Amino acid sequence: MTTAVQGTPAARVRLDRRFVMPVALLLALAVAYALMVLGSCATVGVGTCDKWAQGQDQFINALTIGGVYALIALGYTLVYGIIELINFAHGEVFMCGSFVAWFTLTRLGFSGPIADNLPLLVLVVAFTFLVSMAVMGVVGVVIERFAYRPLRNAPRLAPLITAIGVSFILQNLIFVTISNSIVTVPQVIPNPVLNIGPVHIRGINLFVIVLTVALMAALHGFITRTTLGRAMRSTAIDRDAAQILGVNINSTIALTFFIGSALAGAAGVVQGLYFGVTVFNIGFQAGLKAFTAAVLGGIGNTTGAALGGFVIGFIEVLASVYGVGRWSEAAVFGALVLVLVFRPTGILGQQLADRA
Amino acid sequence: MKYARVGAGLAVLAVVAAACGSSTSSPAASTAASGGTGAAIDIKVGIELPMTGGEAPNGVPTANGVALALAQIKVPGFNITINQQDDAVAGVHNADQGAKNMTALVNDAQVLFAVGPYNSSVAQAEIPVSNAAGLMQCSPANTAVTLTKGDAAVALRKTNPTKIAYVRVATTDDNQGAGTADIAYNIAKAKTAYVLDDTQTYGKGLADGFENAYKIFGGKELKRDGVPGTTTDFTSYVTTAQGLNPGIIMYGGVTTSGIGLFRKQMAQAGLANIPLVGGDGISDGSAATASTFLNIAGAAGDVNTYSTVAAIHDIPNPTQFATDYKAMFQGAEPGAYSAPGYACTQIFLQALTAVSKGVTDLGQLREAVRAYVADPSHTFNTVLGTVGFDANGDTTQHTISYYQFDATSKDWKFLQQRDFTANPVK
Repeated sequence: MTTAVQGTPAARVRLDRRFVMPVALLLALAVAYALMVLGSCATVGVGTCDKWAQGQDQFINALTIGGVYALIALGYTLVYGIIELINFAHGEVFMCGSFVAWFTLTRLGFSGPIADNLPLLVLVVAFTFLVSMAVMGVVGVVIERFAYRPLRNAPRLAPLITAIGVSFILQNLIFVTISNSIVTVPQVIPNPVLNIGPVHIRGINLFVIVLTVALMAALHGFITRTTLGRAMRSTAIDRDAAQILGVNINSTIALTFFIGSALAGAAGVVQGLYFGVTVFNIGFQAGLKAFTAAVLGGIGNTTGAALGGFVIGFIEVLASVYGVGRWSEAAVFGALVLVLVFRPTGILGQQLADRA
Repeated sequence: MKYARVGAGLAVLAVVAAACGSSTSSPAASTAASGGTGAAIDIKVGIELPMTGGEAPNGVPTANGVALALAQIKVPGFNITINQQDDAVAGVHNADQGAKNMTALVNDAQVLFAVGPYNSSVAQAEIPVSNAAGLMQCSPANTAVTLTKGDAAVALRKTNPTKIAYVRVATTDDNQGAGTADIAYNIAKAKTAYVLDDTQTYGKGLADGFENAYKIFGGKELKRDGVPGTTTDFTSYVTTAQGLNPGIIMYGGVTTSGIGLFRKQMAQAGLANIPLVGGDGISDGSAATASTFLNIAGAAGDVNTYSTVAAIHDIPNPTQFATDYKAMFQGAEPGAYSAPGYACTQIFLQALTAVSKGVTDLGQLREAVRAYVADPSHTFNTVLGTVGFDANGDTTQHTISYYQFDATSKDWKFLQQRDFTANPVK
C-alpha cells in the first residue's frame, strides 16, 4: 500500500482498482456465504439439520439463478450502452429462447437425462445452445432492423413504446401458435450430486455456473480484445465520431443486438435445462429482474450487469433462507432503491467503454 | 422502409386480434331455446370464470357444469342463454379483468344471475360491483374466509350492506385448511410440517387455516414462509425443506402461482418422498391434462401428494351426474367444481321458478332472484344435496373432500370426506 501512495495519482488509482475490486467481491461472497450458513437451520428443535451443507447448497442456488439473471441482464446493458434504449422486448427474447430449446430437444427425440454417453450429451447440449443462440441472435437483429432502426432518430419515448409492442408480439406469437400452457423441456443433463473436495454440487448447477461464467468471460474478451468489440465501444462512446473514423454504425448496432439476444437465447436454454419447464409468460418477470440487475450494476456496464444479476440472485435466496421469502421481491427492489439513492449510476457506474 | 412499418403494424394488429379472439371465445355450450311458447322471455345466466391458458382446467369444467344444468332443467316461460366472461389475462386469473367482466354482466339487463368467479382474489374485486348493482352471483369455488365474514367482508359490500348479492356453495378456508391439516396429521401421519403460501388472498388464508388446525391436532410447524406467486425458482425453498426434513409440506396456493414447479424441483432434488398437501387450488385434474398441478409436477413429483376440494364429493347421485356430463361434453370427466357450478345454476333456476309468477320486468326479476337466494330461510335441492345460505351468504354445507394421487389412473383419487358442521376441529 505504501508504494501505491508514493506513486503518481493515476498509478494509485489503477492499482487500487486492480486490487480493490476482487477483494471487495471476495469479501461480499464470504459475507453472503456466512449469512447463508447462519440463517440455515434457524428453526429451534431441528436436530439433524447440517447448517454448513445447507448454507453451501443455498450459496450454489444463488449463484445458479444469479447467473441466469446476469446472462439476460447483459443483453439489456449492451443495447442500452450502444443506443440508450431500454429494450423491453429482451425478456421475451429469453422466453422464446427457452421455447427453441424445448423445440430442439423434443424434436431430437429426448425426454429425460442422457446417462452413460458423455459425447452424445455434450453434442446435444452444444447443439441446443448453438441453435437457440443463433435463432435468437437473428431474431434480435430482425427486431432491431424493423422495430428500432427506423426510430433511431425519433424521440426516445417512441422506440421505448415500440419495444413494449414487440414484447407483446413475441409473447402472443408463442401463446397463439405454440402453447398457452406450461410445456415440459427435456432435462437431458444427468443430475447426480458431485463431490468435488468439500463441495457438494448437483450436475446441472455446476453446468449452469460454469457456462454462465464462460459466456461472460467470452463476451468480456470479445468487447475488449477484438476489432469488432472496439467498434462497439467506440459507437457507444460517440456514434458520430465512430462513423467518421470508418465504423459501420448499422452493422455494429446489429451485432450488439445479435450478441445480447444470443445471450438471452442461452439463458433460455438454461431455463429449460435447469427448471425443466417453460411457459409463454415467463419473459416478463425474468426480464424485469434482469433489467433491475442491469440498473443495479450500472446500466451500460457489462461487468455491472453481471454483478447485478448475482446480487439479485443472492438477495432472493437470502430472503428465503431467513424465512422472509414473501418479501423477496420487495427486498430486491428495496436494494435497487438504496443503491440508486447513494450511487445514482449503479454499483459500478454507467460507461460501457470504461470497464467493459 | 414504409412497407416495413406497415407490415409490422399489420402483424401487431393480427396478433392482438388473435389474442383477443382466443380470450373471449366461450367453450361452454349455450343452451338451446326451450322450445315452448313464443312468449318466452329472453334472459341470461352470466358465467364469470377463468377460461384460458393455465386456468382452463379450472374454468372450463365449471362452466360446463352450468351449461349442463341449463340443458337439463327448463323453466317454463323463459328462454335462458349464457353470457360468458373470461377473467384470465395471458392465461392467469386477473382481479381487474374480473371486475370489468362483472360490470359487463351487470350492464347486460338480461343477466339475472351470475355464476363465478373461481378465484378468491377475483371475487374480492367483483363483490363490490355485484353488490352495488344487486346482481346475485354464486361462486362455485371461492373459499377465502374474508369474502363473507368479518370487517373486510362488510367493507366489500358497503354499498348495500344488508343486501347480500354474493353467495357460495363452497365452504370456507378455515374448514378447508383444517381439512388439509386433517390429511397431514391423521392420514399422512406427519407430526411436523413446513408451511408455504403463495402470498395471495386464497393461498395465505388456506395456509393460515392449516396452521391453526394442525396445532390443534398436535402437529408441529417447523417453518412458515411465503413465496411470491410469480416465482419460478423454488430451489432455495427446496434446500430449506431438505434441511428441515419435515413430515409433510403444506402449500397454500394455486397451480398458476407455481406449486407444480415447486414439486417438480423437489423431485429433481430427490425429495419426492416428503409428502405434500394442498387445497382445491391443486385439485385441477389428471396428469394427462395440460397445465394441471399433476401435469407440471411430473410423474416423479406426483407421488405422495394430497389435495382437498371444498365441496361434498359423495353427491347424492354421482354416477348419474358423471354420465350426463360425459354425454354432453364428448366423454370428458367432470372437474372438481363441475357439480358446484351445476348447483349454483339449480339454485338460480329454483329461485326463478319461485319468484317469476306474473313478473316480466327484468329489473324486478333480478332483484327478486337476489332476495330469494339471499334469504337464509330458503333451502335449495341441488346436485350437492340440500343447500342454504347463512346471513353472510356462506353455504350451510361444511364438507371437505380429501384426495390422494393415484399412480394407476394418474389422477386424484377420493379418500374420504369430513363434515365440519357435525365434526369440527377443536
